[in-house]
Amino acid sequence: MGALFEVLTENFDQLARGFWVTLRLVGASFAIALVVGTVVAALRIAPSAWLRRLGGVYVETFRNIPLLVLLFISFAGLRRAGVPISNWTAGIGSLGLYTAAYVAEVLRSGVFAVSKGQVEAALSLGFSHNETLRRIVLPQAFRTVIAPLGSITIAMIKNSAIVGVSLLALPDLLKEARIVQSRTFETDETFFWAAVGYLLITAAATIAFRALERRFAIRR
Amino acid sequence: MQTTRWRWLTVLALMVGVLAAAGCGDDEEDTGAAETTATTPTRTFPAGTTMARLQQAGTITIGVKFDVPPFGFKNPRSDELEGFDVDLGRRIAADLGVRPRFIEAVSDNRIPFLKDGTADLILSTMTITAERDEEIDFSEPYFIARGRVLVKDDSDITGVDDLAGKKVCTALGSTYEETLKREAPRADLRLVDSYSECLELIQNGAVEAVSTDDVILTGMIIQDDSLKLVGEPLTTEPYGAGIKEGDDAFRRFVSDVVQAWKRDGGWAEAYQKWVGQYTDEQQDPPTMTLAEALKLN
Repeated sequence: MGALFEVLTENFDQLARGFWVTLRLVGASFAIALVVGTVVAALRIAPSAWLRRLGGVYVETFRNIPLLVLLFISFAGLRRAGVPISNWTAGIGSLGLYTAAYVAEVLRSGVFAVSKGQVEAALSLGFSHNETLRRIVLPQAFRTVIAPLGSITIAMIKNSAIVGVSLLALPDLLKEARIVQSRTFETDETFFWAAVGYLLITAAATIAFRALERRFAIRR
Repeated sequence: MQTTRWRWLTVLALMVGVLAAAGCGDDEEDTGAAETTATTPTRTFPAGTTMARLQQAGTITIGVKFDVPPFGFKNPRSDELEGFDVDLGRRIAADLGVRPRFIEAVSDNRIPFLKDGTADLILSTMTITAERDEEIDFSEPYFIARGRVLVKDDSDITGVDDLAGKKVCTALGSTYEETLKREAPRADLRLVDSYSECLELIQNGAVEAVSTDDVILTGMIIQDDSLKLVGEPLTTEPYGAGIKEGDDAFRRFVSDVVQAWKRDGGWAEAYQKWVGQYTDEQQDPPTMTLAEALKLN
């Protein structure tokens, strides 16, 4: 038991640096995922078939390429093609765009979960297409997607560890833990603290999404 | 209804079976029937020793690098494992009268592999250090490498002193992490899992230099001649075979094989085959002892 806390106190600065890198990576990727995911979801429910198809191509592309391959293409591939992309940009971009595909699918399903009768009722009451979307569909859709968005966010936080082990060599929490492990040989103890670090972030995300759910819940 | 359920169960069982078979197949980095020539035990060992256990099993699992020419690498043409470390591994297996089974051991996992018994022996360009000696045991040194710096032909870096502010790649868990922090404290270190990743990073310009053992860097130059070595040697890196901590009888056995290999010309042959013909340099088998090596790093 002594070794467990020793590993943390003796390597706290290094592990904290990795934690901070992971936090920034996750924060930036989350922002990209939300913005891009919303745009793609809008494309997927657009009145124009071409726009819908465009959104579909995005989702299928980013959902069907393994994240590790995406990281490799976006870093080594682009650099070899002459684009001087940094490891940060490649990491945040890949994780953000990859997660955006899932966000888009959740948002789309949320919109479709609102029953057709409500849309028809709104339209027959004289609401325009945009008004129907804004006042009837989206508020209800938002409520449905909070829980699945939370799951996606947690998955993204854990996926961020892949960025660290990839070619990008970003010094994230897992990477710093592995460096500590390779120096101290305290494998179980080091990875225990790495797990705690990830748990802190996922727990914070869970609490935030629970609060959102409560805030927008229907009183039954 | 009943038959449908059974059909699904059969399908499920088949899938599990296929997956299991695929998993095992992958793991078995078999070197084929060509190596069964040496399966007549030459010596017998007291029961309970690692040597006796390995002879009983008929195989020895050896962790080597898969991507570090010229020490341990997969020949892309023949798909065979080759290299200096692999040759030594075959020699040790032959002297035991067992078949070698090679598995991939990268810098970061080779010590855990010995501790948990995944590998019986590690031959993966591993420098003997006092720190590692606390976790595992080492054989007598079988090769002496020197730490160097590799850059692109057109680079203005001329040695370790120019690395400040530059991106430098080396492997996580290697001795160079410490060496570079000491010799080039202001360098921006990029720690990756394997040296093939360092090669990719210097080729695509993501790092400006790679630092590790000269022989590993020479392997990179063989693959890409737009790279060059610069500066004076940073360090002396005696390689030793890694053995589970406390297994003294097996450590002595491996050391004896290493020393015999140095004496009987096996070492010189492997050196010429894997290093000499590329560097045009001659070298005698190392005379450094384990005790000297441990004082060094």
